[in-house]
Amino acid sequence: MKSATAKIGLVVWLTLVISAGILFPMVAAPQKWYELPIIPGLEEKARIIFFHVPMAWTTVVAFIASTIYGIRFLMTKNLDYDLRSVSAAGLGTMFCILATVTGSIWAKFNWGSFWNWDPRETSIFVLLLIYGAYFALRSAVDVEEKRATLSAVYSIIAGVTVPFFIFVMPRIMTGLHPGSKGDPQGAGPVVQFKMAPNMLLVFLSSLLGFTLLYFWMFNLKVRASRLEFHSQQPQE
Amino acid sequence: MLDFLAEHQLYIVMIIVLMIWAGFLVYLFRLDGRISKLEQSVKK
Repeated sequence: MKSATAKIGLVVWLTLVISAGILFPMVAAPQKWYELPIIPGLEEKARIIFFHVPMAWTTVVAFIASTIYGIRFLMTKNLDYDLRSVSAAGLGTMFCILATVTGSIWAKFNWGSFWNWDPRETSIFVLLLIYGAYFALRSAVDVEEKRATLSAVYSIIAGVTVPFFIFVMPRIMTGLHPGSKGDPQGAGPVVQFKMAPNMLLVFLSSLLGFTLLYFWMFNLKVRASRLEFHSQQPQE
Repeated sequence: MLDFLAEHQLYIVMIIVLMIWAGFLVYLFRLDGRISKLEQSVKK
């Protein structure tokens, strides 16, 4: 995400996706290309999939990126990879908090309470604790090399748990969240990508847009961290 | 206009979301510009 054209393209893309996600009408029998079908049990509340799921997806991308940069740091001992690893983990945590908050608001209207300790809610809470501990670990070590090595090892262990907490655990346990084991709609239209084609298009466009937005934010965060790192080095 | 918005409340949601989105984009573009400037001054 370096050229201005790409950034403006992303802005236009996501603005269209946001507008479509909010404004496309939901009707019982869609006739026109922009009409979305009503998902039983979700109705208008189904619109959250265009925002909440991409946020959770971006969390996964960021945490996996943090793990990969952690591995690369351990292989090369290049501190720039540590900067990238912590930047990715920071953004991942931010997207994770956003996914949790949007999910919680949705839960209030769909399940009647902001927090129900549903397997999906519990798993994302544990994931937040795991990455909270990552930042606690970093803040506890003053020596740069040692901090980078310890947090790289931790980011690998944390990264291994991400697919389990996001994709596996909520699907093997009975819960309220669409896609849980025992969901009355099977795995659910969202989880199995059995959405109507126009809904799927908006959803996949949103996934792509959020992923690209993450790469832009990651680029900015890494560049800002590098400047901060260089400003802390003793001047020759 | 107000009658239209009262009938189509999703437009109000969209206006608020787009305002937040626009504010966030202004922040990102300004941050991008400032970082680029700082990078250039560090190179010199």
